[in-house]
Amino acid sequence: MSAQRPVTIAFDVMGGDHGVLEVVKGAAQLTLDSPNVHGLLVGDRALIDQALTQVKYTAERLAVHHAPDFVAMHEKPAVALDARPRCSVMVAAELIRDGEADAMVSAGNTGAGVLACARAFKLIPGVRRAALATVYPTAVSRGEKNDPFSLILDVGATVDASADDLVAFAVMGAAYARIISKNPDPAVALLSNGTEASKGPARVVEANQKLSVIKGLRFIGNVEGVDIPKGTADVVVCDGFVGNVCLKMLEGVSETVIELARYAYKEKLLWRAGLAMLSSGIERIKEVTDWEQYGGAPILGFDRLFIKAHGRSKARAITNAGKVAAKAVKSDLTKVIQDALPGA
Amino acid sequence: MTLPDRIDPRPPKKIYRWDLDKTYLQTEFDTLRQLVRTAMQKAHEKKAVPGAAALIRELRASGDSRLCIVSGSPTQMRAVLAEKLKLDGVEFDELVLKDNLKNLVRGRFKALRGQVGYKLPVLLKSRAHAPVEAEEVLFGDDAEADAFIYSLYADMVARRVSEPVVHQVLQAAEVYENDITAVMKVWESIPQADPVTRIFINLDRLTTPASFAHYGPRLVPIFNYFQAALVLMADGHLAAPQVLKVMVDLVQSAGHNLFTLSNSLQDLIRRGLPIAQVAQRLSEALQGPQAMLQVVRPVPDIIAAFTKRAASLGAPPAPAPVKDIDYLSLLDHARPRTHKKRRIE
Repeated sequence: MSAQRPVTIAFDVMGGDHGVLEVVKGAAQLTLDSPNVHGLLVGDRALIDQALTQVKYTAERLAVHHAPDFVAMHEKPAVALDARPRCSVMVAAELIRDGEADAMVSAGNTGAGVLACARAFKLIPGVRRAALATVYPTAVSRGEKNDPFSLILDVGATVDASADDLVAFAVMGAAYARIISKNPDPAVALLSNGTEASKGPARVVEANQKLSVIKGLRFIGNVEGVDIPKGTADVVVCDGFVGNVCLKMLEGVSETVIELARYAYKEKLLWRAGLAMLSSGIERIKEVTDWEQYGGAPILGFDRLFIKAHGRSKARAITNAGKVAAKAVKSDLTKVIQDALPGA
Repeated sequence: MTLPDRIDPRPPKKIYRWDLDKTYLQTEFDTLRQLVRTAMQKAHEKKAVPGAAALIRELRASGDSRLCIVSGSPTQMRAVLAEKLKLDGVEFDELVLKDNLKNLVRGRFKALRGQVGYKLPVLLKSRAHAPVEAEEVLFGDDAEADAFIYSLYADMVARRVSEPVVHQVLQAAEVYENDITAVMKVWESIPQADPVTRIFINLDRLTTPASFAHYGPRLVPIFNYFQAALVLMADGHLAAPQVLKVMVDLVQSAGHNLFTLSNSLQDLIRRGLPIAQVAQRLSEALQGPQAMLQVVRPVPDIIAAFTKRAASLGAPPAPAPVKDIDYLSLLDHARPRTHKKRRIE
């Protein structure tokens, strides 16, 4: 009997905004869509049992691992993980460390997920700090799949990154874009306050010099904030502090635009008519920039992969996060990153 | 051979009743094209559900059982189906097929699709000729009304269901009045017993197991025949080496592996089936000397996988209380799947 393990994705079923059912549903759907992928549901067994009474699944490719605790969204990660070491996200990370699964998907507390990875996984040789990557909709699409998203990293895992960290982030982001977006030669840029190589803090300038000489990496230099939505670069690199501020600002802008549209809709009949005429176009934009199709944001830099699904993720986003994780595992993303790092 | 054996075969201690399509055979007949293709298939082209033939062979190995097959396939397919079973090494005692040509000629159109009006009388008539003490295990699937029909049959023989309820159920299932009379008559002739110990429903359509909770713990929805073999081992129908033979068949014929099998085992434990002891006995049997089992080695990996999956569930929940089946509330289950009144999936 073949003992070669199929790709197994551990799903932390606790902590998402929509509860256990959506995560279980998404994981079950993944195993139905992809016969060579198995799901391992980690969380409260009673809640998982309850969810499985409402979900179509195949028992052959879905297993359950009971974890008695979980970390809520509002909790401080370190405090919660210390107080409840058997929480679902920690148990899931340990199962991956022990070879029971290959990658993790969680829609729960991001900090707890990253910390669980840091405690259970090892960093890839040559990587000093992990990076949280996210996708952002852009004006241009890219790669074999015509993805209308660029990848931004780091958006919060490493607040104070050195020049070498930024170089590692660039290499990791490019490898991820190659594998997941099927973009064979992604354009990589550093986020700065000017496009000139000399612009920005010392670590950005130094990173620029180092990235310019890395073979096999299409480094296009520095980009400014305005270039992110334009899609000038496929991979935008920054430290976690800048990335997080930038991401929150971009989210804030889009929320404000929606609020303004709502206001306009209520305020004047003419404006309402205008919005109605634009509605099909707006729907189309929503379709092409639907974040659920991307599933989640990867934490890059560890020897095992963690896909952080959005807290608001419903079943479809969870399924897609699992697919992304399985694809990364099958493509041996960790090895690809390791081989691409300077000095490898 | 003793004198009585020569005069009359030994009465069976166990009766295994099987449906064919989607239970024993991998059949697709959801569209007209699939229906035609199924009808035209030759015996060697038909595929059995992985593990089904191996399970039947092991169940029959003790020699004190009967295999009774009742299928909705037309009588015209008898030769092909009998040949297929022979090819698979499955020896049957009864093979009852549906005479739809007769229904068509007589203008009994409701009987063409109806399952209850066909299967229930067949089961009851067969039971009427069985020894009172013979235990029964039934195998069906989730494509039609097997769970309903098998449960009703079991409770009719055990007299757990009243005559007015049966009458109401048969009327709701659009069974012709003369067939209802015939059912009632044959039921009357059957001595009261409680022979049906287990009903297996093969989840061909991946219906959620919880959908069958109304039928109580006697009915076990299964994702594969390894799960059935495990439960049958716990029920005393199979020994550990026989379950391993079913397991080997699934590995060889359907690409199952350590992980699909251990997940299947865990699924049963999670659903509250009492098979934890079975897993232990199976692990012991795996360490036996049978050469055939080389195919499922390495043994330590298998034992570890089974143990790990069983242990990872934590404390089991309290079993659900057993209640009598309320057939009147399940009438939808008795109607053909395509029936406009049927609303279950």
